[in-house]
Amino acid sequence: MKKRWLIVAGLTLLGGVLAEVPGVVAGNWAQGPLGLILQPAPATPGGGTVYKVGAYPLYTAELADGEGKELVMSYCSICHSVTYITMQPPLANWKPTMDKMLKTYGGEKFIPPDVAEKILAYLQAHYTPETRKE
Amino acid sequence: MKGKVDRRKLLKLLGAGGFLLASRPALAQTSAQAEEALPSFTGPQANPYWNGVHPYAVYPQKLPLLRMTDRPVQLETPRHYFRTPFTPNEAFYVRYHLDEIPNEIDLSQWRLKLEGNFERPVELSFEDLIRKFKPVSIAAVNQCSGNSRSRFQPRVSGGQWGNGAMGNALWTGVRLKDLLDYAGVKPGTVQIQFEGLDRGKGPENLGSGRFIKSLDLDDPVIEETILAYLMNGEPLPMLNGFPVRLVVPGKFATYWLKHVTWIRALTEPDKNFWMATAYKVPDTPNGSTTPEAFASGQVKTVPIGHFNMPVRSFIIDPDGSYPLVAGLPAKIRGIAFSGHGKVVKVEVSTDNGQTWRPALLGPDYGKYSFRTFEYTWRPTEPGKHVLAVRATDEKGNVQPDSGVWNPGGYLWNKIERQEVVVLAAK
Repeated sequence: MKKRWLIVAGLTLLGGVLAEVPGVVAGNWAQGPLGLILQPAPATPGGGTVYKVGAYPLYTAELADGEGKELVMSYCSICHSVTYITMQPPLANWKPTMDKMLKTYGGEKFIPPDVAEKILAYLQAHYTPETRKE
Repeated sequence: MKGKVDRRKLLKLLGAGGFLLASRPALAQTSAQAEEALPSFTGPQANPYWNGVHPYAVYPQKLPLLRMTDRPVQLETPRHYFRTPFTPNEAFYVRYHLDEIPNEIDLSQWRLKLEGNFERPVELSFEDLIRKFKPVSIAAVNQCSGNSRSRFQPRVSGGQWGNGAMGNALWTGVRLKDLLDYAGVKPGTVQIQFEGLDRGKGPENLGSGRFIKSLDLDDPVIEETILAYLMNGEPLPMLNGFPVRLVVPGKFATYWLKHVTWIRALTEPDKNFWMATAYKVPDTPNGSTTPEAFASGQVKTVPIGHFNMPVRSFIIDPDGSYPLVAGLPAKIRGIAFSGHGKVVKVEVSTDNGQTWRPALLGPDYGKYSFRTFEYTWRPTEPGKHVLAVRATDEKGNVQPDSGVWNPGGYLWNKIERQEVVVLAAK
């Protein structure tokens, strides 16, 4: 990490020195943490009478570590990926959302009450305005 | 964040020729450029960015779009694709409710089924749709009911879209009316119901199992609705509804079903979850209420189909990522639309909404299309300026400068603003 900083600073200094016109800064590079998006291979659009696009890629978000994380990952993911959790703004009270999932959408068919309680506790512990970290 | 300099970077700069930079005015404008990521979430304040803060991801037949959720898939269109009046198919946003969506469809087996209260229930092949019916085309904006939901205060749960859950396309297909006449709607029919191929893991009788919507038979929009098999002149991308999707001009996209396979004539109003429970808005003139009133249980709600999309306009350029220069012309460009009819006026403000000047409107592609606008501004004062834009439609609807609030996060159409920095050129 420190070495990288030195290289960057060195390059910056070099750029600063090389600039012939006052007020111009040039040659400044930084390590980009955004990552690459790989270019997809050309698609085969199907053949005969079949239109196909293949499997849809998953890009599921990482949940915060903590008690109940595995339950959330296994039960909530039955109907939707946990990206649905990280996508929300921090909610002060996750109970209405839990109730909507359990009753309105029928999640209670899959999720026992004691598990639902642990899931709610996990969400309150990591995804409220006070507790959300990332 | 705009106007902020990353501390680490500042140290770096100071450590290496900072004296050169101290007088460089552009420093004040340093925005999050390609070496820094946006925060991974926003809130409890409103999302301050034009788009949602989702990362880019690649999906079939799509350019990198903003991945809001991956399963069910919801992708937002980045701001710069709205520079043109028609949104490219490969950049068009995606919104599904359920996760069992088609990966492949065999057209030799797929049939569009018209069933229920028809004289002649029929099954039509894709070829029948193309050959037996006269094709019609219409330019129309498809906008998610919850577009811009991340602007709400207080925030509401649901898809945290920025402004990119919308797109405009030239849709070509069969008039719904022609199909209904072909099968013969029997007396006593009150609604026409639509269902596509999407399914979910939940119980079949609940919203998590199937996605179904209905239109009133006497709704004037039935006359304008088409079943589209072309989008901007090409077959629909799978994620936008191949082989056919419903196009309901002026209405929110929740009615624009994808992969439409069943059309049913109903003799009773549809009571399914997606009509009776979801996509309901307060029965007030602009669909707005307050958290307190809603909590009291006194707010009557109606399906969002009772509303046409409110008039909106967006600044696409400048986007705040580059400075303008005092004395040089700057083109303020964007798009406007309304579900109530043609956009007849777009006004631009360069002083945060205190005074307004008319913008030049682009070509008219029909009353349901995006309409581009352009305004040439020649800033003279260096510093920060706030641009604003507001549109008026032919019914006299004009964008308000206040945000709506409802628990679903629907119907946002507040005047949009963009902060820009003007550099001194002397």
